[in-house]
Amino acid sequence: MTEQEIIDELKTIIIPYTEEKTALENIGTHTDFIKDLKINSANLVDIVLDIEEKFNITIDNDSMAKMLTVKATIEVIESKLQANAG
Amino acid sequence: MLGNDIVDLNLAKIQSNWRRKNYLSKIFTEDEQLLILSAKNPDVMVWLLWSMKESAYKIYNRRTGIRSFAPKSLKCTIHSDLYGEVNIEGSTYFTKSDLKTRFVHSIATPNYRMLEEIRISIYEAPYNLFDYKSTKPGCVSHHGRYLALVTQVF
Repeated sequence: MTEQEIIDELKTIIIPYTEEKTALENIGTHTDFIKDLKINSANLVDIVLDIEEKFNITIDNDSMAKMLTVKATIEVIESKLQANAG
Repeated sequence: MLGNDIVDLNLAKIQSNWRRKNYLSKIFTEDEQLLILSAKNPDVMVWLLWSMKESAYKIYNRRTGIRSFAPKSLKCTIHSDLYGEVNIEGSTYFTKSDLKTRFVHSIATPNYRMLEEIRISIYEAPYNLFDYKSTKPGCVSHHGRYLALVTQVF
Protein backbone atom coordinates (compact mmCIF):
# COMPACT_ATOMS: atom_id res chain seq x y z
CA MET A 1 0.00 0.00 0.00
CA THR A 2 1.44 3.38 -0.94
CA GLU A 3 1.51 6.38 1.37
CA GLN A 4 -1.06 8.13 -0.83
CA GLU A 5 -3.41 5.13 -0.65
CA ILE A 6 -3.20 5.19 3.14
CA ILE A 7 -3.87 8.94 3.18
CA ASP A 8 -6.93 8.44 0.96
CA GLU A 9 -8.29 5.80 3.34
CA LEU A 10 -7.62 8.06 6.33
CA LYS A 11 -9.44 10.92 4.64
CA THR A 12 -12.58 8.78 4.25
CA ILE A 13 -12.35 7.60 7.87
CA ILE A 14 -12.00 11.15 9.20
CA ILE A 15 -14.95 12.75 7.33
CA PRO A 16 -17.57 12.21 10.09
CA TYR A 17 -15.28 13.62 12.82
CA THR A 18 -14.26 17.00 11.43
CA GLU A 19 -15.99 20.15 10.33
CA GLU A 20 -12.78 21.58 8.89
CA LYS A 21 -13.62 20.59 5.33
CA THR A 22 -10.88 22.68 3.72
CA ALA A 23 -8.19 21.28 6.00
CA LEU A 24 -9.47 17.77 5.27
CA GLU A 25 -9.43 18.46 1.53
CA ASN A 26 -5.76 19.48 1.86
CA ILE A 27 -4.81 16.62 4.15
CA GLY A 28 -1.13 15.63 3.97
CA THR A 29 1.53 13.99 6.08
CA HIS A 30 1.92 17.08 8.27
CA THR A 31 -1.78 17.44 9.08
CA ASP A 32 -2.40 17.42 12.83
CA PHE A 33 -5.70 15.83 13.89
CA ILE A 34 -6.33 18.22 16.76
CA LYS A 35 -4.65 21.45 15.64
CA ASP A 36 -5.62 21.36 11.95
CA LEU A 37 -8.74 19.22 11.80
CA LYS A 38 -10.06 20.28 15.25
CA ILE A 39 -11.03 16.71 16.03
CA ASN A 40 -12.48 16.19 19.48
CA SER A 41 -10.04 14.05 21.46
CA ALA A 42 -12.80 11.59 22.41
CA ASN A 43 -13.28 11.02 18.67
CA LEU A 44 -9.59 10.21 18.17
CA VAL A 45 -10.44 6.87 19.76
CA ASP A 46 -13.09 6.33 17.09
CA ILE A 47 -10.54 7.06 14.40
CA VAL A 48 -8.11 4.55 15.92
CA LEU A 49 -10.89 1.92 16.08
CA ASP A 50 -11.93 2.68 12.48
CA ILE A 51 -8.30 2.29 11.36
CA GLU A 52 -8.07 -1.07 13.14
CA GLU A 53 -11.17 -2.30 11.34
CA LYS A 54 -10.28 -0.87 7.93
CA PHE A 55 -6.70 -2.14 7.86
CA ASN A 56 -7.35 -5.26 9.93
CA ILE A 57 -4.63 -4.43 12.45
CA THR A 58 -4.45 -4.07 16.23
CA ILE A 59 -3.08 -0.82 17.59
CA ASP A 60 -1.46 -1.05 21.02
CA ASN A 61 -1.51 1.83 23.51
CA ASP A 62 2.08 2.92 22.84
CA SER A 63 1.34 3.22 19.13
CA MET A 64 -1.93 5.04 19.75
CA ALA A 65 -0.06 7.57 21.90
CA LYS A 66 1.80 8.78 18.80
CA MET A 67 -1.24 9.08 16.53
CA LEU A 68 -1.74 12.84 16.61
CA THR A 69 -0.59 13.52 13.05
CA VAL A 70 -1.14 11.87 9.69
CA LYS A 71 2.60 11.18 9.42
CA ALA A 72 2.78 9.30 12.72
CA THR A 73 -0.43 7.45 11.89
CA ILE A 74 0.93 6.26 8.53
CA GLU A 75 4.06 5.00 10.31
CA VAL A 76 1.95 3.04 12.79
CA ILE A 77 -0.25 1.55 10.05
CA GLU A 78 2.75 0.59 7.91
CA SER A 79 4.58 -1.10 10.77
CA LYS A 80 1.46 -3.07 11.80
CA LEU A 81 0.78 -4.13 8.20
CA GLN A 82 4.38 -5.29 7.89
CA ALA A 83 4.11 -7.26 11.13
CA ASN A 84 0.94 -8.92 9.77
CA ALA A 85 2.65 -9.78 6.50
CA GLY A 86 5.75 -11.13 8.25
CA MET B 1 -0.58 25.50 37.24
CA LEU B 2 -4.19 24.70 36.47
CA GLY B 3 -6.10 22.42 34.16
CA ASN B 4 -9.78 22.17 33.41
CA ASP B 5 -12.14 20.36 31.09
CA ILE B 6 -15.83 20.69 30.38
CA VAL B 7 -18.05 18.13 28.66
CA ASP B 8 -21.41 19.15 27.22
CA LEU B 9 -23.37 15.97 27.97
CA ASN B 10 -25.87 16.48 25.14
CA LEU B 11 -23.13 16.93 22.58
CA ALA B 12 -21.13 14.01 24.00
CA LYS B 13 -24.16 11.79 23.50
CA ILE B 14 -24.27 12.72 19.80
CA GLN B 15 -20.49 12.84 19.21
CA SER B 16 -19.37 9.67 20.93
CA ASN B 17 -20.70 6.17 21.26
CA TRP B 18 -18.64 4.83 24.15
CA ARG B 19 -20.56 1.54 23.99
CA ARG B 20 -18.81 0.80 20.74
CA LYS B 21 -16.72 -2.40 20.86
CA ASN B 22 -13.20 -1.82 22.29
CA TYR B 23 -13.85 1.89 22.93
CA LEU B 24 -13.67 1.73 26.73
CA SER B 25 -10.58 -0.47 26.81
CA LYS B 26 -8.62 2.03 24.71
CA ILE B 27 -9.25 4.85 27.18
CA PHE B 28 -9.91 3.44 30.61
CA THR B 29 -7.96 1.22 33.00
CA GLU B 30 -9.55 -1.98 34.32
CA ASP B 31 -10.48 -0.20 37.56
CA GLU B 32 -12.07 2.70 35.68
CA GLN B 33 -14.04 0.33 33.46
CA LEU B 34 -15.39 -1.36 36.59
CA LEU B 35 -16.44 2.03 37.96
CA ILE B 36 -18.27 2.79 34.70
CA LEU B 37 -20.01 -0.55 34.39
CA SER B 38 -21.17 -0.52 38.00
CA ALA B 39 -22.24 3.14 38.03
CA LYS B 40 -25.89 4.12 38.41
CA ASN B 41 -25.42 6.41 35.45
CA PRO B 42 -22.63 5.01 33.25
CA ASP B 43 -22.84 7.91 30.76
CA VAL B 44 -22.02 10.44 33.43
CA MET B 45 -19.24 8.25 34.85
CA VAL B 46 -17.59 7.98 31.42
CA TRP B 47 -17.49 11.75 30.99
CA LEU B 48 -16.57 12.43 34.61
CA LEU B 49 -13.48 10.20 34.28
CA TRP B 50 -12.74 11.64 30.84
CA SER B 51 -12.84 15.24 32.11
CA MET B 52 -10.55 14.31 35.02
CA LYS B 53 -8.04 12.83 32.57
CA GLU B 54 -8.23 15.78 30.19
CA SER B 55 -7.84 18.38 32.92
CA ALA B 56 -4.78 16.57 34.33
CA TYR B 57 -3.32 16.04 30.85
CA LYS B 58 -3.45 19.79 30.19
CA ILE B 59 -1.08 20.39 33.12
CA TYR B 60 1.11 17.39 32.34
CA ASN B 61 1.46 18.54 28.72
CA ARG B 62 2.46 22.09 29.67
CA ARG B 63 4.85 20.93 32.39
CA THR B 64 6.67 18.29 30.39
CA GLY B 65 6.15 19.49 26.81
CA ILE B 66 5.08 15.92 26.01
CA ARG B 67 2.22 15.66 23.58
CA SER B 68 0.68 12.21 23.32
CA PHE B 69 -2.65 10.47 23.07
CA ALA B 70 -2.43 8.01 25.92
CA PRO B 71 -5.63 8.37 27.95
CA LYS B 72 -5.09 5.00 29.63
CA SER B 73 -1.80 6.15 31.15
CA LEU B 74 -3.73 8.80 33.10
CA LYS B 75 -5.08 6.75 35.98
CA CYS B 76 -8.05 8.14 37.90
CA THR B 77 -9.10 7.54 41.46
CA ILE B 78 -12.32 9.07 42.76
CA HIS B 79 -12.50 9.91 46.45
CA SER B 80 -15.59 11.37 48.11
CA ASP B 81 -17.57 14.46 47.14
CA LEU B 82 -16.22 14.43 43.58
CA TYR B 83 -12.65 14.96 44.74
CA GLY B 84 -10.19 12.74 42.98
CA GLU B 85 -6.70 12.30 41.67
CA VAL B 86 -5.06 11.40 38.40
CA ASN B 87 -1.67 9.69 38.27
CA ILE B 88 0.60 9.77 35.28
CA GLU B 89 4.23 8.67 35.07
CA GLY B 90 4.77 9.16 38.80
CA SER B 91 3.09 12.57 39.01
CA THR B 92 -0.16 13.15 40.84
CA TYR B 93 -2.73 15.79 39.92
CA PHE B 94 -5.60 16.51 42.27
CA THR B 95 -9.04 17.05 40.82
CA LYS B 96 -12.42 18.33 41.82
CA SER B 97 -15.44 17.91 39.59
CA ASP B 98 -18.86 19.39 39.22
CA LEU B 99 -21.76 17.31 37.92
CA LYS B 100 -24.77 19.06 36.49
CA THR B 101 -27.65 17.68 34.44
CA ARG B 102 -26.20 19.12 31.26
CA PHE B 103 -22.46 19.23 31.80
CA VAL B 104 -19.51 17.79 33.69
CA HIS B 105 -16.59 20.05 34.63
CA SER B 106 -13.31 19.08 36.27
CA ILE B 107 -10.41 21.14 37.54
CA ALA B 108 -6.92 19.82 38.22
CA THR B 109 -3.87 21.10 40.06
CA PRO B 110 -0.58 19.56 41.22
CA ASN B 111 -1.17 20.95 44.71
CA TYR B 112 -4.15 19.65 46.70
CA ARG B 113 -4.68 22.87 48.69
CA MET B 114 -4.88 24.93 45.51
CA LEU B 115 -8.17 23.22 44.62
CA GLU B 116 -9.94 25.62 46.96
CA GLU B 117 -8.19 28.65 45.47
CA ILE B 118 -9.57 28.42 41.96
CA ARG B 119 -12.22 30.67 40.54
CA ILE B 120 -14.42 28.86 38.04
CA SER B 121 -16.53 30.70 35.46
CA ILE B 122 -18.86 28.69 33.25
CA TYR B 123 -20.79 30.31 30.41
CA GLU B 124 -23.62 28.68 28.50
CA ALA B 125 -24.40 29.67 24.91
CA PRO B 126 -25.72 31.98 23.72
CA TYR B 127 -23.26 34.08 25.69
CA ASN B 128 -21.89 37.40 24.57
CA LEU B 129 -18.60 36.80 22.89
CA PHE B 130 -16.10 38.62 24.97
CA ASP B 131 -12.37 38.82 24.98
CA TYR B 132 -11.89 36.21 27.70
CA LYS B 133 -8.20 35.86 26.91
CA SER B 134 -7.65 39.36 28.29
CA THR B 135 -8.74 38.05 31.72
CA LYS B 136 -5.66 35.77 31.52
CA PRO B 137 -7.37 32.55 32.63
CA GLY B 138 -5.16 29.74 33.93
CA CYS B 139 -6.91 27.32 31.61
CA VAL B 140 -9.78 27.35 29.14
CA SER B 141 -12.08 24.57 28.02
CA HIS B 142 -14.77 24.73 25.39
CA HIS B 143 -17.24 22.04 24.37
CA GLY B 144 -20.63 22.34 22.73
CA ARG B 145 -22.67 25.05 24.42
CA TYR B 146 -20.18 25.60 27.23
CA LEU B 147 -17.12 27.71 27.87
CA ALA B 148 -15.28 27.20 31.17
CA LEU B 149 -12.50 29.43 32.50
CA VAL B 150 -10.44 28.82 35.61
CA THR B 151 -8.23 31.33 37.34
CA GLN B 152 -6.06 30.99 40.39
CA VAL B 153 -7.12 33.28 43.22
CA PHE B 154 -4.28 34.48 45.41
